[in-house]
Amino acid sequence: MAGDEGAEIYEEREESMDAAVDKETEIKTEGKEDENVLQFLDSLDGYLTLMDSVNSKLREGWFDLASARHSMGTLRINSTLLDLKYHPAASTFQVTDQEVGSLGSVPRFALSKWVSKGGGSPKGKDFSTDTDSEIGSPLSQQLRHRGVSEEKPSAKDENTLAADEEIKKERAKSLSVFGGLVSPKLRGAQLSFETALETLVEIANMRASMLSAFERITEK
Amino acid sequence: MYGFEALTFNIHGGYLEAIVRGHRAGLLTTADYNNLCQCENLDDIKMHLSATKYGSYLQNEPSPLHTTTIVEKCTLKLVDDYKHMLCQATEPMSTFLEYIRYGHMIDNVVLIVTGTLHERDVQELLEKCHPLGMFDSIATLAVAQNMRELYRLVLVDTPLAPYFSECLTSEDLDDMNIEIMRNTLYKAYLEDFYKFCQKLGGATSEIMSDLLAFEADRRAVNITINSIGTELTREDRKKLYSNFGLLYPYGHEELAICEDIDQVRGVMEKYPPYQAIFSKMSYGESQMLDKAFYEEEVRRLCLAFEQQFHYAVFFAYMRLREQEIRNLMWISECVAQNQKSRIHDSVVYMF
Repeated sequence: MAGDEGAEIYEEREESMDAAVDKETEIKTEGKEDENVLQFLDSLDGYLTLMDSVNSKLREGWFDLASARHSMGTLRINSTLLDLKYHPAASTFQVTDQEVGSLGSVPRFALSKWVSKGGGSPKGKDFSTDTDSEIGSPLSQQLRHRGVSEEKPSAKDENTLAADEEIKKERAKSLSVFGGLVSPKLRGAQLSFETALETLVEIANMRASMLSAFERITEK
Repeated sequence: MYGFEALTFNIHGGYLEAIVRGHRAGLLTTADYNNLCQCENLDDIKMHLSATKYGSYLQNEPSPLHTTTIVEKCTLKLVDDYKHMLCQATEPMSTFLEYIRYGHMIDNVVLIVTGTLHERDVQELLEKCHPLGMFDSIATLAVAQNMRELYRLVLVDTPLAPYFSECLTSEDLDDMNIEIMRNTLYKAYLEDFYKFCQKLGGATSEIMSDLLAFEADRRAVNITINSIGTELTREDRKKLYSNFGLLYPYGHEELAICEDIDQVRGVMEKYPPYQAIFSKMSYGESQMLDKAFYEEEVRRLCLAFEQQFHYAVFFAYMRLREQEIRNLMWISECVAQNQKSRIHDSVVYMF
């Protein structure tokens, strides 16, 4: 009799524990789904903001280019002056697959700006721009110097200055197709298009994350 | 002191002065520009221009139009006017009119040489050349490797030959050397034109001296601003300034050492005619400088028509037409890019 009561109590406890575990799992699953939805919405918001930003930058760039043509003349800025000789690309673009815990394999896009890979010793540094890999977290754009990790602050500042000088030279070299002395408006246009290019890479990364998050939401 | 131009000018120059004053009356007015600024697309601009002197040049252009097409066709009107005047002119007016072309010839030479350096097709480059700057052997420029060859093979038989004496080197042509060549040639051309006008004397000399001096000063400022932050040294920069003008020689000494726009402003504000120009801009800003200079130039060009019996009206008319074409280009770009709120940033009204 006492044993039967004990067994019943044990069974009731088991059932209540199972119910509690089930409820906890259900809460966790709902929470996970909510997290995925939030990540997707964050990515979407970031994507739309970046699209707006790139449209604005491109408009500014085209307008500055028109201003430069107005200032310097149509003979000095036109497509027939662009260089058809073989020359190394000023910027390169890499695509890799990155494993992101909750989202699986996500394509990752990276831009290396102002890298001159002409024959002989490599000239300049590899300035990669990369966005924060945490999905949904605020985007942060960093200029990284590969292989330069542990340095004293003063040496780092010198390196940064040298890198900035190198970038200035590469920018001037790109613009030299239009002549040695160009209007500040043309330089402004170059900066606008450069920023737009970086933003496009961020958009590509954001879109990849957004699509992955969407797949996670829809798969059930 | 003027001679007795009123007695003799009309014998050879009266007809052409009347012609150029008629052309001047055909320049677009503020009302025309207001209509153009309200256009929604380039076809609207073409429709508004059909009622002007440009109508016959644009009427056969198919849609969709491009801004470069509008500029090219409007330039043809300028070229036709010029050629009509040139073929009717006698000496020394014909030489004076020829001088107006030399600036465009220099631009064309630099375009061909730069394009060839970048391995572009010569035909493609010739299509882009300014019609006023064309000459017979221009296509042969593509074979030259350095300035000495450029001179020896092609330019020795052109009116630009005397301007090459300071440019002759055997250095291979690269982007910076070409830029220095452009500015050195233009400097020599301006100085030669200035001396020619001084020889003519009278109202031509007085008015043209003022206009060319302004041109020389403006070029000095533009060279200074465009060379800030480049590899052009102070000595090389100073060599590109013309040897006349209000800024010569002390202003040039100061401009040569300027490292930013505020220093340029500091130099220019010492000269009353340019103080007014720079007072329109805030510190550190250079965006409106071009418009300010164009406005001053247009004011001086319009004043040239207030006197008679001189050749400066021809120069003034050509420059005003070029400014008008620049205005049309700007308006077209703003309309095409849907930036109509920015149209008034660079349009210079004449009347």
